[in-house]
Amino acid sequence: MDMQDVIRQLNVVFGEVFDDDSLVIGPATTAEAIDEWDSLGHITLMLAVEKSFKIRFTTAEIAETKKPGQNVGSFARMIQQKCGDHGA
Amino acid sequence: MSDHEAKLSGIAHVAALRKEGRHAEAFQALVRLAQREDNAVLQARYARILSTLDQGVFKAMTPIRVAVLASSTDKFLRDVLGFWLALAGFNAVFFEAAYDTIAQTILAPDSKLYAFDPDIVWIFTTFRDVQIPRQWGRSREETCEDVDEVIRGYSSLWGVLQERCRAYIIQNNADLPPYRTLGNYDSVASWSHSSILRRYNSRLTEALKDGVMIFDLEYISAFFGKEKWFEFTHWYNSKIPFSLDAVGEVAHQAARLIAAIKGQAQKCLVLDLDNTLWGGVIADDGLGGIALGDGPVGEAFVDFQRYILELKERGVILAVCSKNDEEKAREPFLKHPDMRLKLEDISVFKANWGNKADNIKDIAHQLNIGLDAIVFVDDNPAERELVARFLPQVVVPVMPDDPSRYRQTLDHGRYFETIGISAEDGKRTEYYRSNMARDSARQDSCDLAGYLQSLEMEASVGIVDDFHLPRVVQLINKSNQFHLTTTRYGESVVKELAGDQDVICRHFSLKDKFGDNGLIAVVILKRAGDLEYVVDTWCMSCRVLARGMEEYICRTMIDLGLERGIRRIIGVYIPTAKNGLVADLYPRLGFTPIAPVAGGTMRWQLDLDRLPGKYETYIGTSKT
Repeated sequence: MDMQDVIRQLNVVFGEVFDDDSLVIGPATTAEAIDEWDSLGHITLMLAVEKSFKIRFTTAEIAETKKPGQNVGSFARMIQQKCGDHGA
Repeated sequence: MSDHEAKLSGIAHVAALRKEGRHAEAFQALVRLAQREDNAVLQARYARILSTLDQGVFKAMTPIRVAVLASSTDKFLRDVLGFWLALAGFNAVFFEAAYDTIAQTILAPDSKLYAFDPDIVWIFTTFRDVQIPRQWGRSREETCEDVDEVIRGYSSLWGVLQERCRAYIIQNNADLPPYRTLGNYDSVASWSHSSILRRYNSRLTEALKDGVMIFDLEYISAFFGKEKWFEFTHWYNSKIPFSLDAVGEVAHQAARLIAAIKGQAQKCLVLDLDNTLWGGVIADDGLGGIALGDGPVGEAFVDFQRYILELKERGVILAVCSKNDEEKAREPFLKHPDMRLKLEDISVFKANWGNKADNIKDIAHQLNIGLDAIVFVDDNPAERELVARFLPQVVVPVMPDDPSRYRQTLDHGRYFETIGISAEDGKRTEYYRSNMARDSARQDSCDLAGYLQSLEMEASVGIVDDFHLPRVVQLINKSNQFHLTTTRYGESVVKELAGDQDVICRHFSLKDKFGDNGLIAVVILKRAGDLEYVVDTWCMSCRVLARGMEEYICRTMIDLGLERGIRRIIGVYIPTAKNGLVADLYPRLGFTPIAPVAGGTMRWQLDLDRLPGKYETYIGTSKT
């Protein structure tokens, strides 16, 4: 799965979780850019991504995604790597 | 397409309806789509969509103010609870409490909780809130004292809450974790984690008082599966106290409990017969051919009947609605040795070839209950669909193919939640059955006066003492249709009112030649100045409607007023979605209107110097 595929699939998940099908995200998108992307929105997002990509985040990975400076790009790389782990 | 993906596309359909402005349809589609088992992502989406629907959707719902006070992150649960409360008929508003401030929120002198004026305060604790040392060698007494100390803490918080607001309190018990450092010995040693939490749960139940109810988190964690429930990733990251995929189940069960607290639990179970109470078709297979008792399938049906019988014994009214010849349908009840349900357990028995929606409407009418008080159980999807379509207020659980799962399916809807059982509950079927006998007497007798006279009715009036208190409180809190002012009072409040010089509390019982109806009405009058009493509460069981009790009670209030030298009785009517039945009660009893108050509330007055009528009834007063 290349980065573009991951971000395309992520875009669908974002649209569903934040209830906005016009939402367009890119690697540089951060939580500040989306109103609903608060701490609760983040948890829902993690769960939705797990279901959509059929992966499971560890406690440390979730903690990582909450650190300052994280964006859709860094998140997508994490997903890509985890999908790779499963040979997908 | 996976189940999850199917649900996501269902949600997309709901969102499309919303986009077209068809909000009521969007809500109906959501109701059909959502299941308590659905995962956290779906539950969050249901909640989010509901929050964007316009107010019209919520208009017919009962408003409710809920404060969840938690030692963990509860926002997620609150959102989803709002959704499940909407499904139970409530338009919920939530209090925003700061994270992990249970005691502060309750105790602070300037706490915003009290200005919020909650109907429900839910103290959401988990096993983590029972912090007691667990060391080898601690004596049983030390452990027990520690447990009691924690419980005294909550008990005093309940006391403060009850002093400062009118809310009903829900308190979680402790969910026992699935890991045990002592293995099986954990349930032996009195100082172990398991033993401490088990003792805590049992002592908490003993400490309950009126106006406080347990939310059985231990049960839910086991029901959901402890290995899944205890999921710590989101606890360590965000202080989410249980697996988020359980949030639908938790919210569903809490919504059902809240419905019971607000008197809106279901009251009546309407049952199909063939392939619902026994296997096979009685008209085709005959008495010896139906599956009941013998064999694996027969055992399953017997157990289902046993479960239903237990529901009836705790006060759920049973009715039958079957497409059958009446005589054939009754045969198993009369002759089959393995029938657990007998004809006398069934309040209304409808076996005919008419459609079931009409039959259920008849049943509701005969029992004088709302359609929303009915749960309809039928193995046949076509019959369920018909009833669900034509009577959307009736609850129609989707029954599984295998009768061995009937009992659980019915149970897990939590339709008949209750916060207390009174002696009257066990007798309810008897009351309704004698009502049926009265109704057929009414049909036989051509004039109403003659019929009422033939009933040989006797009423009794009593003050609210400790013995009658539980039933009085139950009636006030469960009545919806015949309840003029929608008041809900706990035992302590009613007790206080009963002891107040300026308040008159009376309960009424009625018996007749067909049987005893029990305690069927309550009035509370409050003095307003020297010359007036205001009817603060008047509720009555609908099973004695239109038999003269309204006039009898009015006459009693007049006499009580005259004895105390007042000149006017003021009647208040606060309209709700359910009490339209009594909208014209006061004018019917000769009260004259006073200018309406804001919000649809009506006020009426009765001038005791110029009584309009004599309030004649055919009800005598018994001396007991």
